[in-house]
Amino acid sequence: MANILKISKNAEEGLRELLRFLLEKKRVKAVFTLRKINENSAVSYSLITDSEMLKDALPLFPLMPQNAGKLLSRLTLKEHLLEPTAAVVRPCELRAFIELVKRKQGSLDNFIFISTTCPGTYPLELSTNGDIWKKLPEYEMCVKEGDIVPDIRPVCQACEHFIPYSADMTIALIGKKDVDKSCEIFLNTEKAEKLIEGMDGELSEGELETKEIKKLHSKRQEKKKELFKEINVESLGLSGLIETFGRCIGCHGCGRVCPICYCVLCDFDSRDYECEPSTYESELKKRGGMRVPPNTVLYQLGRLTHVSVSCVGCGMCTDVCPADIPISTIFLKVGEEVQNLFNYIPGKSVEEAIPLTKYEKEEFAEVED
Amino acid sequence: MKDEFEPRIIGFLCNWCSYAGADLAGTSRLQYPPSLLPIRVMCSSRVDPLFVISAFLRGADAVLIAGCHPGDCHYQEGNYYARRRFACVRKVFETLGMESDRLRLSWISASEGPRFANVITEYTEKIKKLGPNPANKKIFL
Amino acid sequence: MKGARVAVKDSIEKTVLNILSKAIDKKLFDVILIPIMVPAGDSYAWVLAQDKSLLDSASSLPPIMSVQGAKALSSVTRMGKTNKKIAALMRPCEIRAVIELSKLSQIELDNIFLISMDCPGVLPLKDWLKDPTKGINSFRKVIQRFVDGDPEPDQSVRPVCTICHRFYDSSAVDLHIGILGKKGEYIFFIPHTTQAETIFAELGLSFKDDISHWQNGVDEVLKQRKKKRSLVQEELKPEVIGLDKLLDTFSNCINCHICQSVCPICYCRQCYFDSDKVKQPPDDYLMRAESKGNISLPPDKILFHLGRMSHMALSCVGCGACEDACPMSIKVAQIFSLIADRSQELFNYIPGESLEEPLPLRVFEEDELHEVETP
Repeated sequence: MANILKISKNAEEGLRELLRFLLEKKRVKAVFTLRKINENSAVSYSLITDSEMLKDALPLFPLMPQNAGKLLSRLTLKEHLLEPTAAVVRPCELRAFIELVKRKQGSLDNFIFISTTCPGTYPLELSTNGDIWKKLPEYEMCVKEGDIVPDIRPVCQACEHFIPYSADMTIALIGKKDVDKSCEIFLNTEKAEKLIEGMDGELSEGELETKEIKKLHSKRQEKKKELFKEINVESLGLSGLIETFGRCIGCHGCGRVCPICYCVLCDFDSRDYECEPSTYESELKKRGGMRVPPNTVLYQLGRLTHVSVSCVGCGMCTDVCPADIPISTIFLKVGEEVQNLFNYIPGKSVEEAIPLTKYEKEEFAEVED
Repeated sequence: MKDEFEPRIIGFLCNWCSYAGADLAGTSRLQYPPSLLPIRVMCSSRVDPLFVISAFLRGADAVLIAGCHPGDCHYQEGNYYARRRFACVRKVFETLGMESDRLRLSWISASEGPRFANVITEYTEKIKKLGPNPANKKIFL
Repeated sequence: MKGARVAVKDSIEKTVLNILSKAIDKKLFDVILIPIMVPAGDSYAWVLAQDKSLLDSASSLPPIMSVQGAKALSSVTRMGKTNKKIAALMRPCEIRAVIELSKLSQIELDNIFLISMDCPGVLPLKDWLKDPTKGINSFRKVIQRFVDGDPEPDQSVRPVCTICHRFYDSSAVDLHIGILGKKGEYIFFIPHTTQAETIFAELGLSFKDDISHWQNGVDEVLKQRKKKRSLVQEELKPEVIGLDKLLDTFSNCINCHICQSVCPICYCRQCYFDSDKVKQPPDDYLMRAESKGNISLPPDKILFHLGRMSHMALSCVGCGACEDACPMSIKVAQIFSLIADRSQELFNYIPGESLEEPLPLRVFEEDELHEVETP
């Protein structure tokens, strides 16, 4: 049973009110959330210190211009926050941030995390052509019914981790029929309860995991099976990989937007992977031909090996790919398999070390020969 | 005369155990197929999974990582990490339907000359059955 | 200048490919760097082709530019000179980028033979990927319209291709293949170097033919293109002039930097704008947020774009790789080539035109640019 603060406004307005309260009462120094940044309705993450600016805040807008985990890491890379900041992020973004914190790429100090039971986010394409605004009524309806929202990112449709693991506050969205009239904020930590003291609203108790949530969980699991059937990763093999990444242009955009790929100079962009003329000559002798720039498949396999243990399945990679390659589906599948190997859920708990940084004296006898 | 396929196996052998074991096999004049291309590393944990993937994509028919038995690592823990990394990269290959049998992890100590010869002989046979690595001829890698 | 007039059999593409194939046969080159269709048939990738059979699925004038050719060539010779004789067949903007990269020490041109062809433009990658078969057909029409001399460029190509005023040969190329002037019945092989003459003479080409038809064809299209370029750039200006407009235009930008990573001129392994230099502790960002009430994250979006402009605009060849790759469909190439034109004009500099002409910022006159000084 958790404490709930209920505000008699629609979910987004209620959340705005909460953020305004926190800023104006100086409970936080700044708020991190999505905001409409101009009249043309461009939406971007913002660090807001002036509560006046909150009128343009869209904390529940179904768009992920960058994975917020990456942005929070950028914010706290050099030093931890010196003053409390409330950050409204999705479950996968919070998980990504925690994975980054484990890699010393950020700090959790002084953050108050506000998340939601996440209905998913639309592909960036829908934002560039403005269609996303037309989709909002359908989005809200699916949220109320606890259905999978059509046209959201494929990995969102297949996402099982849509309940945040370590947020201080969780806005209940999925399956809430009164989401247009009431904002239910679950207070998961003592910190959260202290922060809302004095705020207008009804206090009650309840369970976050309702039967609608359980139903959506099963629906999403089914959807994942379908997704994995569409792109049968297990039947790819080397030829299939070569075919899938045939149209890859080697821009490395997938790595750039991936929250887990934090390396300032990616191995594959460094001198280490540039070939000497003699290498080209010997490869040409052997193969008769060689694609250039080289290392297209190597990049994908390499990134899979580096990232899969922490992949949170946010879907940024597919969204930015200029060649429309279903990268996030492949990473989601491989990520799942690698994570299952270690019984690991990335970002669930900051105390749980990344599997490759620890060991048991007796394990994995099946891989030894 | 039919051209028989001679596998090329890239082997990352740890300096203290496996490389010494390979040396012992040699000084003991033990016979084993000439399929191995040994690369000495100080510890099996030096092996970056990327070495394995690069070797595979460049056309190595198989990649072997050999190190000290768990508990005997010269640097105490190296081989434990190596085992986890290997499990990870092997799982990536498996999940993508790539021939994960072309990747092998074996513990071979400095005194195990015969074991070293056995591992190479056995692995060579296995790879002969699998055939040449298709990556060898690919152009669009 | 004279050239070799060659009758077109089947298609311009195939005619050129046949001749190059013969060149490999006769070992006039060791390797050809050319776009080849990928196994899945949905794209073209640059391949160093030593084996002649690979040319069966090659294209001398592919419908798309998946990777900017200069980037592909740079990856081959960045670490050193190649010992193989490589003939690289690329579009004029790719050749120009090659020349610029050579000046920037990113390509060693020894043993590289550069071949270009008049370019009708390329289809945007995303449009092509929706239906590659349809793309091949629609591109055939694009080529035909171009060689027929239609001054109006086909609207299905990249926006910057529709206003391209450098679709013909750069003086720095070894051999240029002119396809304009004869409505696709004949093409012209035009050598720029004696090496080109010697090599292609071995294939039976004699460079004695008059190329004035081609020259006229180019002039006709160029006249219209120059007008179109001015017009379109004038229309674009109101969208970007002034900080407010610039911010608006880039408001959808997510700061992914993919435009920088596909740009041939942006060769830095680690971009300055990704380096430690632009990363500050949270207090800095908080202070900046307080001064305006908020700060967008990721920060320094316009700094990145203006900075990139100032770094590469003088060498920008207007290929449009950036705009093609942008996930938010921002008119990056159109904006950057507008700035590039104006900054190149300042120094009377045409990027990629001549290997001998140094990059403007590496030389100076003692007496110049007084208009920028404030007395």
